[in-house]
Amino acid sequence: MPPAHHPNRDTVTTIREDGSRRFLYPADVRGRFSLARRISALLLIAVYALLPWIPVGGYPAVFLDVAARRFHLFGLTLAAQDIWLLFFLITGLGFLLFIVTALFGRLWCGWACPQTVFLDHVYRRIERWVEGDGVQRRTLADAPWGPGKIARAAVKHAAYIVVSLGIAHLFLAYYVSIPALWAMMTGAPGRHWAAFVFIALATGVVYFNFAWFREQLCIIICPYGRLQSVLTDDHTLIIGYDAARGEPRGPAGAHAAGDCIACDRCVRVCPTGIDIRQGLQMECIGCAACVDACDEVMAHTGRPPGLVRYDSLAGLARKPKRIWRPRLAIYSVLLLFGATAATWGVLSIHPVLLTAIRLTGAPYYLDQGIVRNQYLVRLVNKQNSPATVRLDVSGLRPGASARGVEDAIEVPPMGEELRPLIIEQSRSTYQGPFAFRVHAADPAEGVDVGLSLEFLGPATAGSYP
Amino acid sequence: MTDPKKTHPSDTDIRPHTFDGIQEFNHRLPNWWLFTLYGAVVFWLCYWSYYQWFHEGPDDRHRIQAELVQVEAAKLAAMASSHLDNASLWAMSRNPVIVASGRKTFEANCTPCHLASLRGRSENKLAIGPDLTVRIWIHGGHPIDLYHTVTQGVPAKGMPTWGPILGPRRITEAVAYVLSHHQEGEPIIDAATLPPGSK
Repeated sequence: MPPAHHPNRDTVTTIREDGSRRFLYPADVRGRFSLARRISALLLIAVYALLPWIPVGGYPAVFLDVAARRFHLFGLTLAAQDIWLLFFLITGLGFLLFIVTALFGRLWCGWACPQTVFLDHVYRRIERWVEGDGVQRRTLADAPWGPGKIARAAVKHAAYIVVSLGIAHLFLAYYVSIPALWAMMTGAPGRHWAAFVFIALATGVVYFNFAWFREQLCIIICPYGRLQSVLTDDHTLIIGYDAARGEPRGPAGAHAAGDCIACDRCVRVCPTGIDIRQGLQMECIGCAACVDACDEVMAHTGRPPGLVRYDSLAGLARKPKRIWRPRLAIYSVLLLFGATAATWGVLSIHPVLLTAIRLTGAPYYLDQGIVRNQYLVRLVNKQNSPATVRLDVSGLRPGASARGVEDAIEVPPMGEELRPLIIEQSRSTYQGPFAFRVHAADPAEGVDVGLSLEFLGPATAGSYP
Repeated sequence: MTDPKKTHPSDTDIRPHTFDGIQEFNHRLPNWWLFTLYGAVVFWLCYWSYYQWFHEGPDDRHRIQAELVQVEAAKLAAMASSHLDNASLWAMSRNPVIVASGRKTFEANCTPCHLASLRGRSENKLAIGPDLTVRIWIHGGHPIDLYHTVTQGVPAKGMPTWGPILGPRRITEAVAYVLSHHQEGEPIIDAATLPPGSK
């Protein structure tokens, strides 16, 4: 059975001439890439579902605690003060994606993107179980509404909504943790309207996306798909049709015909509705369904596989292939810069934050022949265990002394403490302003942070040349 | 690559412009996309009429004013709930729970100047703060004066403005702790009423 509409490169298959949607009913496909994709997708779904459950260092492996402004990532706890690291995380992931794209094309889209993973391996599986294969689904869609069609639609959409609820709840679990999520699920919605409305909206968006919107997201909305033309070149691994081997198309055994038997299997399995034989197209998400479909046909006709295969444009055109290209060097250097900065940033995150400001009032006081400076030291404990911090002052000029550093300070977990720090120097020894350092140390936790402060006083003959 | 279909019906429907040799088809947008556009237009119309034409909704100025009123109300409520006056401060100074948390605040913030004994300069001539246990008070002779002194500070002498740092609750507790070293009814002398040089 030929496809109802033959794709061309001038129009988008899923948009009809009048702007209405042409729905796709991709045929079943079996093969090594389909199997590998199914396994990797199930692994990715397992990772998504399990991360909030696995405790690392007393918190879920990934717990973006927005309410407490603490971000727990595999045992590393970041506070709101560390948010600048996000820049390097996002740019790092971006450049990594650039490199992967330059090397392997849309590997992300076909194998790892949540849109594809959930659509192909959850929602389309449900559809397959309830409504049958592609031909049966199209027949059912074209059939008039009757009890059978209504029953199938009800079962399918009920299953979609259940799965969408699960995805939305898991998503929220990353931000509130499983126990809090469970408490909200078992409590009345009135006690947590915000979460309830969020779940309702998120479920609605997920359901709409996977039940109806589907490939429209990849083709029309996703910016990554649109960036492909600047990220890939002739040496990028893509899925392509070996025209030199396949053309001219003709039935098996026909005189002077190429290897393509024009069976259109590759078109019928395509989830975005293109004909891969028309070359690299923006709609292709690199899912390799056409590779498996064509390999199966080639095996049936006793020909070697790989008429449609993973290859570069240069490879398909029988030109020399190149893996190392200038763009890879540029992307790698940029990634290296970002990764170095991020590593340095993560290593330089201290579990205790020390800041100091001058207390309100005059910059210094003269009292009983003594110059006095008053500071307010702020200690923030970013760990989930208490810290016993000792303050220490170094670099004072002779005759100067500190008050407020005598006792150890208990900083509660995730808490903060304020302490006044007073530096005094007798006028007889005072020789002008100087800089000194304050240290906060907790040997038990390996904390040692310091900062520099300025001691101010009246101008002296030598202090301001 | 293989030739795209040459005889597509849309081939006649090409936009007139050419940039860098690139031409554009004049295909229809997806209906769902147009629906979002028309939906946005309808939303804009309603939104604009509501806020700009009929002035039904509050504008930013009103919203800020409303929030400021709320902040003010919360401040007043916080003040009213603690009923701060001389009698209530004295009462708090006899409450062991309040005095205990006041002591914590005092020891964390006040001891560098006033010393843990509260006796300041009476104990050590080089201490910064005055003695808080004597009956001659420098800045007013009532507990509420003490509260204001802590909250506003005495910048000229180096007493910091603790109000924004500690907040009313902790200041009240610390004042109660200081008052726990005194007795209600004891003769407290406001230093300002003393003749100069009589200290």
